[in-house]
Amino acid sequence: MRILIVEDDEVIATTMCRGLTLHGYVVDHAASAEAAATVLLSERFDLAIIDLGLPQEDGTSLVRRIRRSNRTLPVVVVTARDSIADRVDTLDLGADDYLVKPVALAELLARCRAHIRRARALASSKVQIGSLGIDLEGRRVTVAGEALDLTRREWSVLEYLAVNAGRIVGKERLLDAISSAPQEVSVNSVEAVVSRLRAKLGEAAKIRTIRGLGYRLDDEP
Amino acid sequence: MIRPLWNTIRGRLLAYLLPPLVLLLAAGVYLDYKTGAAPVRDAHDRALASAAFAIATHAQSGVPPAELARIASAIDALLHPGAGARAYYVVRAGGRYLAGEPDLPVGPVSAANPRFFDARFRGAAVRVVTYSLTAPQPLTVSVAETTAERDRATVRLLVSEVVTDIVQLVVTVVLVWIGVALALRPMLRLGDQIATRSPRGLSPLDAQAAPGEVRLLVTELNRLFATLGEAARAQQHFLANAAHQMRTPLAGLLIQLDLLIAEAADGRQRRELSALRQSAQNLAHTADQLLTLARADPAVHLADEFTELDCGKLLEDVVAQNLDRALQQGIDLGAQIELVRVACVPWLIREVLMNLLDNALRYVPAGGHVTVRCGAAGGRAYLEVEDDGPGIPPDQRQAVRQRFYRVPNTPGSGCGLGLAIADEVARLHGAQLEIGDCDGFGTRVRLRFPQPGEPRPRVIA
Repeated sequence: MRILIVEDDEVIATTMCRGLTLHGYVVDHAASAEAAATVLLSERFDLAIIDLGLPQEDGTSLVRRIRRSNRTLPVVVVTARDSIADRVDTLDLGADDYLVKPVALAELLARCRAHIRRARALASSKVQIGSLGIDLEGRRVTVAGEALDLTRREWSVLEYLAVNAGRIVGKERLLDAISSAPQEVSVNSVEAVVSRLRAKLGEAAKIRTIRGLGYRLDDEP
Repeated sequence: MIRPLWNTIRGRLLAYLLPPLVLLLAAGVYLDYKTGAAPVRDAHDRALASAAFAIATHAQSGVPPAELARIASAIDALLHPGAGARAYYVVRAGGRYLAGEPDLPVGPVSAANPRFFDARFRGAAVRVVTYSLTAPQPLTVSVAETTAERDRATVRLLVSEVVTDIVQLVVTVVLVWIGVALALRPMLRLGDQIATRSPRGLSPLDAQAAPGEVRLLVTELNRLFATLGEAARAQQHFLANAAHQMRTPLAGLLIQLDLLIAEAADGRQRRELSALRQSAQNLAHTADQLLTLARADPAVHLADEFTELDCGKLLEDVVAQNLDRALQQGIDLGAQIELVRVACVPWLIREVLMNLLDNALRYVPAGGHVTVRCGAAGGRAYLEVEDDGPGIPPDQRQAVRQRFYRVPNTPGSGCGLGLAIADEVARLHGAQLEIGDCDGFGTRVRLRFPQPGEPRPRVIA
């Protein structure tokens, strides 16, 4: 998987490059928006990490340029600008994520992984989390290659959780997912479906209960 | 605040005005008495002289002494219709006693005719008039009356004067009091305006509304406020800039340490690097906190940033952001959400919640529980973070609001700014920051917003 880092700070750029390389990514570095735009024209990337405070052309303008030409490339903005206005504006421009410096390497890696997975799922309709494989189109679930038998409701819940892996999903949303008439189904039935799913998935995937908020499928096994 | 009267402008004005007023009025009473008493005395004297004249006329025409006594008592009844006063008379013809009281003092000889003088007769003070006739036969008539009656008249006069003057004095004092109060009202308004504004409020006062005498003071105050505001803004700017400038190098440092930890060959090296990373992380955290504190200052105009916030959404977001950390530490992080919206500066409230949660996750041991909650109680929306950690002792709950204060003997590496920021932000929203516990255990920090209708504090100038 290939990542483009657009960052003018030498130290941060090289360290990010090394850190991401260490975790198996192929990393390119551009020190300016212009250089990034050039390399984006000729090369194909799975994700771009962009700093906003760049010399000459600003990072926001690069995000705009990328969205105009490439609708699917995940863009993660990593910046020292922490105002809500900057965050909202940049996300509105089409950035997928907005992280404020300093960012822990682990967090950056987790975000990259999640965004690449989501983009791939959209492109190939397949989600892979550890040994858990989900074919969204074929409606098939495998654990370490072995097919898993799920009921219609179990599938709907797992599909929703998998597409939003790493995010908290409210019970009401899962209720919507398992029934076209959610008012006829109670939250209890969502809990029952989740507990059956947990039993079937075993160690392959972890569905956590987030007290008061819902569930989260861990995106790292 | 109650100030001693003599130390107020009203007190001083009264002190300067009242004594001269009282003196003036006293002089007035004295003069009134003097000018009022003389006519009374003259009128009485004239009546007394008329009596003497009448008796003399009768004596001259040869009226016998018995008849004279009758006439004299008739005159006495005429002169003194009331009881208590007495009149006496004596008639001498050519130095010889003719009628009346033989021992009534006749008085010294003088050219005045009639002649008036004061004397004592039968133990009482009397006023005597002596009237002399020379033709056709030398005749002297003295008529005396006790002074009780005229004294009473004088006292009556004096009392009515004094009462009138005292009423005048009181009315004057009341009018002066009211006048001074009315005149001072713009100044008091100005004082209130200064007293009720936040100690950090630096908006200029309305110099046009101030009376001319204090306009200069107001203008100077405004100049001072402007200078202070400028200084505050400069400090903000510096703080924000400094914190911002620290961010990039710190970001570099942290990510390099992350990389070194990931690449570390053995456990010892990894532990040492992790400790180093923790220190750098704390430094970054403090820089962030300072930046927030600088931006939360009322001197920075935040009024435009107030918007409606869905508290539930915020809680969800904040929990999601802290979930991995909680899971790593073995802490059960949960939420309890009631539908509630508040008018606030969203990023500040988010910052407060992040800080409170950070505190909870810092001090709650593994196996503990942390709950973020939003709802409404008594018509007021609230946000709170509750944990079952070691808690803050009641006697420390005020002190922890101070910047850089940390509860003594606290483990961990907080910078002591989290609750100070929360307190500042609460004040900015007219909200209360309540630091307590849950039935004697753990910590519960609640941010209680004002009623929706309540005006926001004037801090945001």
